[in-house]
Amino acid sequence: MMSAAALTRRAAPALACIGLLATWQVASLALKNDSFPTAIEAIRAIPDILGDKESLINILASLRRMAIGFGIAVLVSIPLGLLMGRSRAVAAFFNPLLMVIYPVPKAALMPIIMLWLGVGDITKTLVIFLGVSLPVIYHSFEGAKAVEEKMLWSGAAMGLSAAQRLVRIVLPAALPEILTGCRTGLVLALITMITSEMIARQSGAGNILFNALDMGQYDTVFAMIIIVGAMGICLDAIFERIRARLVRWSEPQFDMPLSFS
Amino acid sequence: MKVVPSRSSEWVRPVASQKPASAIIEIDRVSQVFQTSTRKDHLALSDISLTIEEGAFVSILGPSGCGKSTLLYIVGGFVSPTSGAAKIKGQAITGPGPDRGPVFQEFALFPWKTVLGNVMYGPRQQGVRATEAEAQSRGLIEMVGLKGYENFYPKELSGGMKQRVALARTLAYHPEVLLMDEPFGALDAHTRTRLQNDLLNIWERDRKTVLFVTHSVDEAVFLSDKVVMMSKSPGRIRQVIDIDLPRPRRRNELLLDPRYQKYVVDIERMFDESDETGSPS
Ligand SMILES: Nc1ncnc2c1ncn2[C@@H]1O[C@H](COP(=O)(O)OP(=O)(O)O)[C@@H](O)[C@H]1O
Ligand SMILES: [Mg+2]
Repeated sequence: MMSAAALTRRAAPALACIGLLATWQVASLALKNDSFPTAIEAIRAIPDILGDKESLINILASLRRMAIGFGIAVLVSIPLGLLMGRSRAVAAFFNPLLMVIYPVPKAALMPIIMLWLGVGDITKTLVIFLGVSLPVIYHSFEGAKAVEEKMLWSGAAMGLSAAQRLVRIVLPAALPEILTGCRTGLVLALITMITSEMIARQSGAGNILFNALDMGQYDTVFAMIIIVGAMGICLDAIFERIRARLVRWSEPQFDMPLSFS
Repeated sequence: MKVVPSRSSEWVRPVASQKPASAIIEIDRVSQVFQTSTRKDHLALSDISLTIEEGAFVSILGPSGCGKSTLLYIVGGFVSPTSGAAKIKGQAITGPGPDRGPVFQEFALFPWKTVLGNVMYGPRQQGVRATEAEAQSRGLIEMVGLKGYENFYPKELSGGMKQRVALARTLAYHPEVLLMDEPFGALDAHTRTRLQNDLLNIWERDRKTVLFVTHSVDEAVFLSDKVVMMSKSPGRIRQVIDIDLPRPRRRNELLLDPRYQKYVVDIERMFDESDETGSPS
């Protein structure tokens, strides 16, 4: 038997979705605007998109670029961030560099990158890579900086070399913080994926969306927004599962004292 | 700027009177200068010389800020002194090593490892086979009174239990010298007493050399063969006192023992007589 509280907690996400769609439906009916289809119209357009081979190939190509960009970014950014967090010299070298890149919207770099590398996969993957890197570097850096020195000393006394301490103490100790950065990075990967396809139209989920917009197929536009949103929710949910499993040792126990539950 | 120790301060009574053959740690005219945030030099330790005999339980006692931790870190090899040198078994200390096992007030356990994982970490690093390391570690966990908690994570333990794990983790790789920096300082009085008793029992079994930092007079007298009294600003050795009390020591007997009481009272008076800001405790 599930308790009432547990049942509510399980049903909460679904309720939130239904509430959002209902609000959309009502707003759309009230506004009576051609470019704002109802939720039901948009949902009806989804099977057409997913049933179309061309569209599916486009969406899968997007996901592939996103996975590659995200994967490489994580593999490069975690070691860099950890090194920055534990070495003043490395931090002093990279910090100014990153500070310059940080506030620049990565999509704004696309026209230049396109000039160098063309409008193909490499350009788009590179932009995703850039978008994901910064939060992952930043959180790895903060996580590594916060590692208790006595923990490293304990490791040194056991005979761990500096490199071993970085991999076997700093990395696991900073993991909760690193994964927070990765989660932000995952969302940014999705955003930069769509924006990159908006700028360099050629293939991808963003391409379907903006072509439909050009042709005034607003139900397709909103169907694509739902699809991209659903992809975001699914990816985040999968990531969150993995994350929770990896850092169970650090999770605070919650869900007890809130007085309003 | 290097601070060159001029001459030994008049308080220092060098402990070189014992047979030098059994000396395990020698601290020779060590001084430590820190740069403060205002860019001034702060002399944290001034001209410290001390010899520690193999198998001795030596406490370093002094007010907060007198450089006790710094001295311990120098022996641990975590900090290198501004001048002077520390040696273990005649070899200059240049860095940390498994011959010196630290136990910190902050526990410094690996939070992503279970109790067993923490205790096994050192032996595994030293190349002990997994099955063997596990068997030894389980034994140690039992010895520190945590049987049944092998698969708990540090966050699931109380402060006293964490310090027991930290002690077991350090004992597991068989350091020749234990370096304990106010290990019971963060614990409540009751837990503290129990851990003191347990530490003494463990120590009386295998008589490892222990360098134990504390600011509690009772604790120092109760545990030690020798108490090194330090004073502050700059950190110096004031006096080294041999604690001539029988072992094994039992707390309930010792507290009633006039000799124990006299040590405590005398040491407390010595601190009070000094015109320094810091009093012990
Ligand atoms: N890394 C450091 N940088 C600057 N000052 C320090 C540093 N470590 C210790 N000190 C200073 O040195 C003195 C001795 O510190 P410490 O060894 O921690 O004393 P204790 O352990 O006896 O309380 C204190 O005044 C402290 O502020
Ligand atoms: Mg201290």
